[in-house]
Amino acid sequence: MSANIRKVWVEVVCVLLCSSLSGVCSAPLCMNGQNGCHILSLSDLFDRVIQHSARMHGISNDLHSEFEQYFLPSKNQIGRVSRNCHTSTILTPNGKENAQRMARQELTEVILKLLLAWRDPLWHFHQSMAHHPDFNKFSSNKALEMSDMAHELRKGVEKVAEKMQMLGIISNSVSSLASPEAPLPANGHKWRLMKDYDLLYCFRRDSNKVQNYLKILKCRIVPEHGC
Amino acid sequence: MLIKPARTLLCFLVLRLPAVTRNGIRWTSLEPHFTECISRNQETFRCWWNPGDFHNLSSPGALRVFYLKKDSPTSEWKECPEYIHSNRECFFDVNHTSIWIPYCMQLRSQNNITYFNEDDCFTVENIVHPDPPVSLNWTLLNISPSGLTYDVMVNWEPPPSADVGTGWMRLVYEIQYREKNTTGSWESLETQPHTQQTVYGLHIGKEYEVHIRCRMQAFTKFGEFSDSIYVLVTEVPNKESTFPLLLVFVFGVVGILVLIMLIIVSQQHRIMMILLPPIPAPKIKGIDPELLKKGKLVELNFILSGGGMGGLPTYAPDFYQDEPWVEFIEVDAEDADAGEREDNQASDTQRLLGVHQPIGHHMNIGCANTIGFPDDDSGRASCYDPDLPEQDALLLMTTLLPGQPEDGDSSFDIVERATAPERGDRPLDQTQTGASQTWVNTDFYAQVSNVMPSGGVVLSPGQHLRIQESGLVTEEETHKKGKENKGGEETEDKNPKELQFQLLLVDPEGSGYTSDSSNRQINTPPSSPVPGEGYQTIHPQLVETKPAATAEGNQSPYILPDSPQCPFFAPVADYTVVQEMDSEHSLLLNPPPPRHSPPPSLTQQHPLKALPSMPVGYITPDLLGNLTP
Repeated sequence: MSANIRKVWVEVVCVLLCSSLSGVCSAPLCMNGQNGCHILSLSDLFDRVIQHSARMHGISNDLHSEFEQYFLPSKNQIGRVSRNCHTSTILTPNGKENAQRMARQELTEVILKLLLAWRDPLWHFHQSMAHHPDFNKFSSNKALEMSDMAHELRKGVEKVAEKMQMLGIISNSVSSLASPEAPLPANGHKWRLMKDYDLLYCFRRDSNKVQNYLKILKCRIVPEHGC
Repeated sequence: MLIKPARTLLCFLVLRLPAVTRNGIRWTSLEPHFTECISRNQETFRCWWNPGDFHNLSSPGALRVFYLKKDSPTSEWKECPEYIHSNRECFFDVNHTSIWIPYCMQLRSQNNITYFNEDDCFTVENIVHPDPPVSLNWTLLNISPSGLTYDVMVNWEPPPSADVGTGWMRLVYEIQYREKNTTGSWESLETQPHTQQTVYGLHIGKEYEVHIRCRMQAFTKFGEFSDSIYVLVTEVPNKESTFPLLLVFVFGVVGILVLIMLIIVSQQHRIMMILLPPIPAPKIKGIDPELLKKGKLVELNFILSGGGMGGLPTYAPDFYQDEPWVEFIEVDAEDADAGEREDNQASDTQRLLGVHQPIGHHMNIGCANTIGFPDDDSGRASCYDPDLPEQDALLLMTTLLPGQPEDGDSSFDIVERATAPERGDRPLDQTQTGASQTWVNTDFYAQVSNVMPSGGVVLSPGQHLRIQESGLVTEEETHKKGKENKGGEETEDKNPKELQFQLLLVDPEGSGYTSDSSNRQINTPPSSPVPGEGYQTIHPQLVETKPAATAEGNQSPYILPDSPQCPFFAPVADYTVVQEMDSEHSLLLNPPPPRHSPPPSLTQQHPLKALPSMPVGYITPDLLGNLTP
């Protein structure tokens, strides 16, 4: 009995620690208006995910700057990408007008695809960072944080999509992507061939895309304050 | 001096140094290259190139710009969509701009020589330099309590080219400020995403220059600085603290003025007297105050000369009834009795010496303002107080008024009363013992036979003294006693001064002073030993004439004794009585009675110096010396 209690206690502590490590204070999203739960509006949800994406992009930028000191600094941070990013197969709007013209549903799907594509690479990136002798603990923590954030951001965007479906803004086709059993893209393992630096470069670009798409989506759907 | 050429040489050599690129070292002169590619709004971008040292390529059209957009593996080099040859600029509009896709720029000459550098590849979001913010404005937040520093809120608008509304660009701003006319470095505040920021701690009186720039969030490239605005706050005189003070002062003055006006208008007598004391008008007893006004001299003379009603009326006129500060002596006409001259011999002296103060019930003390008896150090109540009769005034009043047939009982009453308090218990005893004394006298002069150096005046016992005891007197005595007790130390000062007045005699004829011997007064009325005793006790007292009384008109010349002690003289001179006034307004007096030789009995009691023949005129100081022992 005491061992079980101890296990439970350890688990509780672990949960608490993990939640604190996430770095972003997020209240649990309510399902169907449960008691004692604060129901967020769509606008609030969007604000949250946008904050998340901004934070995530910031971390990726910092890590990328750290990586660059080990190479000759490029003028425009162009880097030397040996291969294309593995997410280049995902069709993403390349400009503001393209993003604004794209349907809300498609845009949401693009966001979710991007975030899903980065779920595994980020985790492995963090692992390689932790074991790499060149990088200090601080960078390793950042990589972990980045990975967790991407994970939470995906969850958050899924919630936003659900809310939008509930409100009738978008149709139900998005939900198929949101399930954790969603199949990875065809070249989903392409990222294993990429170097860490390339991964970081690509993720920095993709996190910026996500941030921009989320902002455009928010200002199209719930344009009050901040648009 | 030698440094400069060395520097230029060094710079030249550096420029000529091999360019280290990723491809390796190659010796290059300055070949055509791109200087910069910038996007302002993340929707378009421009690139500028430089032909370098190849002057043959500087002409427009000699160099062509090609770009590669790596959005697919099969992308190709394309030429610049829009040339601006004047600027050597290549502009990519919205249709040709893609974000998050790498671009590479290339210069090609006519000869198909390609000048390409790997560093000229970029993604557009990484070359965004936002335009500076616009509409800079500042407002004063507060000034520190010390008045030396102040805080300012600066607010602005995001650049119009940046699409912040849709969130396509998220900008962060950086404020920098410095003092205006200094070339020092700028103070920069932390970048923040809001379009307003507080600048703390600026100094009053100094002008500050403020400008702002911005960059994209999570990117590194700042745009250019905005135009500077100037912040200046000078000291403002603190009117607020002095304003209420001024207001209070003004209102206070106005209120006081209004109050005074109200008092004057409402004519409250008591307050009016305090604020605006009445100026005494000339008043003569028995004469209509109307006659005393200007222009009525004829009537006045007529009355004074005895015409009309045959002289001044003896009764107290009703003219001054409405003025409460005017009090008159009312003397009973029956008291004027010439048949009691025997008693009158001592009456003068005793009255003057004032052992008893029986006063007729009609007695009121009149304090005409014209008689300037001093009331400040007598210790008595002022003239306004009807309870306390002024002995001095009484005496002076009766002596000054010419032709009054009334006796001067009242005056002597004053005298008696004046002298009584100084003796403490004795006058009381005397008063009580001498119950049968009454004031009887027809004339109100007491002839001063001698003046003592101490200030005492020796009076001649020309008239009998009839002392009347009355409850009023005792009451007054007790009243005075009570006052004396209250007065305390003042009584001693009071009494000598009271004595002064009793000794002040006026001879309207100007025949000078007369002195009476105290002995005569003492001895002549055998029926009244008390006054004699009173007189005796008076003798050692220090008597000083009041100098203030001399200020009173011509009719009251006083003798100022200058030695403390002087024995009484034997009364030798006598006095005159005004009989009538002739037509020429001169006083006709009785012929002076023959001088009395000093009785030998007098010398027994008091060594008095016999006064030589009484001078007709005033006693001069040297004669005064004769008077003194």
